[in-house]
Amino acid sequence: MTGTVLYARSRALPQTVLALAATALLAVWAAHALDSYLDPERRVPVVALAPLLAAAAIGASLYSASDELDRTAVRPWWHRRLAHLLCLTALAAALLPLAVLSSAQTFGPPAMVRNVLGCTGLTAGAAVLLGARLSWLPVFCYVSAMYMGISGVRGTALPAWAWLLEPGTGSGAWATAVLLFALGGGAYMVKGARGTP
Amino acid sequence: MTLLIEKKPEAAAGFRPLRPEFRRGFAPLAGAAVLLTLLVALAEPAASWQGGWAETRDRTHAAAVLLGIPLALAAGCWQGGRERRCRTGDLLRTSVRGALPRFLASAVPVALWVAVGHLVAAGCALLATWYCATGDSPYLVVPLTDTLLLFAAALGGQAVGRVVPWRLTAPVLATCGYVVLGFLSYDHRNTYAGLSPLIDTSVTKLTVWWQPWVSVLWVGGLAATAVLALTARRRAVALVPLALATAAAITLVEADELTRPNPVARRQVCDTSTTPQVCVNKRYEELLPQITEALSGLTGRLEGVDNLPVRFEDRAGRSRPDEARLPMVTPLGRSVVRGKLTDPELYAWEAGMSLVGRGECDTTDDAVARTDRAVEHYLAPSPMEKYFDDLAAKGTEADRAKLKARQQARARLLGMAQDERREWLSEYFATADVCDPSGVPTL
Repeated sequence: MTGTVLYARSRALPQTVLALAATALLAVWAAHALDSYLDPERRVPVVALAPLLAAAAIGASLYSASDELDRTAVRPWWHRRLAHLLCLTALAAALLPLAVLSSAQTFGPPAMVRNVLGCTGLTAGAAVLLGARLSWLPVFCYVSAMYMGISGVRGTALPAWAWLLEPGTGSGAWATAVLLFALGGGAYMVKGARGTP
Repeated sequence: MTLLIEKKPEAAAGFRPLRPEFRRGFAPLAGAAVLLTLLVALAEPAASWQGGWAETRDRTHAAAVLLGIPLALAAGCWQGGRERRCRTGDLLRTSVRGALPRFLASAVPVALWVAVGHLVAAGCALLATWYCATGDSPYLVVPLTDTLLLFAAALGGQAVGRVVPWRLTAPVLATCGYVVLGFLSYDHRNTYAGLSPLIDTSVTKLTVWWQPWVSVLWVGGLAATAVLALTARRRAVALVPLALATAAAITLVEADELTRPNPVARRQVCDTSTTPQVCVNKRYEELLPQITEALSGLTGRLEGVDNLPVRFEDRAGRSRPDEARLPMVTPLGRSVVRGKLTDPELYAWEAGMSLVGRGECDTTDDAVARTDRAVEHYLAPSPMEKYFDDLAAKGTEADRAKLKARQQARARLLGMAQDERREWLSEYFATADVCDPSGVPTL
């Protein structure tokens, strides 16, 4: 087996791809069940929770069972880590918008892609600080708090920290999500996930 | 010769294994995560609940159920997989203690920290309302039972985490919790809506006294069933909490009504020294001095005028024929923020508009409409009046003519002697809700 295949198996990438596909199917079903074509606002649970699940799956895949051994390797790891994160994020960003294709302006594909980027960035950053297996916790807390708290500021211009629930293609929300992805992804690329049991 | 002195065991020796579990590891982090999540969720729309005890109760309850329970499930589930992740399961099985004490030693610290996180968040919300409370009294049973719910959810989550060996069990379980609770709470006409601890209440309602406790029995019974089925020496013991949970579920689903009207919301407190009298719902009794002050200009101008409503009322339902509706102070966050009227001028204008009531007439005569606007201007002018006057002054010839007529009507009313105006207003208010223009005195 080549090194790439071994790497993919050691990071449970086939299972992660399956989890992303299952998340996308679930999102399509949920958008249909919520009758989101009647009112795009009904997509909020889908646009918030589907990227959360996808980011949790990607975060879990960053775990290495042989972290200390990996770090003794002569070859640099950064390009493998970068490719790993980018490929899975791209896959999630390609699959999840299928659930919200009917309207681009309000919680449509751009909002879904933005949320995938932001949530994955948060998860990658959390993997560096807390370890890959617990990387879902910060993004989970953030999505929970925003989902409930945002009802108080809906209808007005959302602040940058509420990027998750910006309905349109606001540049502030996009900038925050891209910044989070760059920071979290960059930290993971350089440092790798924290070694935890 | 050396004598060995036997050291007496310390009183708290039995708790020693638990101490590191409480102080280190995931348990404090779980408590902090619950606290932070709930505080952020409560803080952003704080103006919509701060100051009202019922609003605070509903907001903290919704946050605890919709956010706290999934998070507690996830936290417990993560802790439940610890022995598998650390590969210490076999080692633990060789210990003298049974499976249940071993489980509780790992699960209780996380559940307690989660419960403490929620209690602190609920306490902060109560404190935030206490300093600017507008009336009524705190509802303490709801946050207390919510704490028990979160404790039970963390225990149940731990049982799931022990059984399901998958990396994503914790976030998936929490998302399932979101979906189930969201589904049960979304449509309150759903047959099974009573199974959600978050039932349909409004600020003018209370749950029946037993509903929070039976909800705790329902959720706690399920958690206890999972724990005992997993760890008890005799698995059949798990049937006892299962039977209790089932009985609680049947009670919640079959109950005719899980809410009742709040008796406080039916009462009013009144200032009877003004004309009309000013009455405020007892839930917001502390606002009465501010509202009376805001309406003082209006009530002062109506002194000695006849044919007015007896009082401004603030109760649920339609006003009686001799009463006018006090402008609404709810939902909090608009007219009232943190126990203060945000715009007394606007509030007074709204009160004046409720006296000049020809809103249900299909058509209104121009002269009558002009007179209504002049009376509105005299009682309490709209903060937007100047803006619309300026707009009309820059408008077409017809707009300017209408503006001039309006200004003349205002001047005529202001130019009357006090007794003459009082008589004219008494005559006007006798026809204030009449659609037929023939009997209405005009300016």
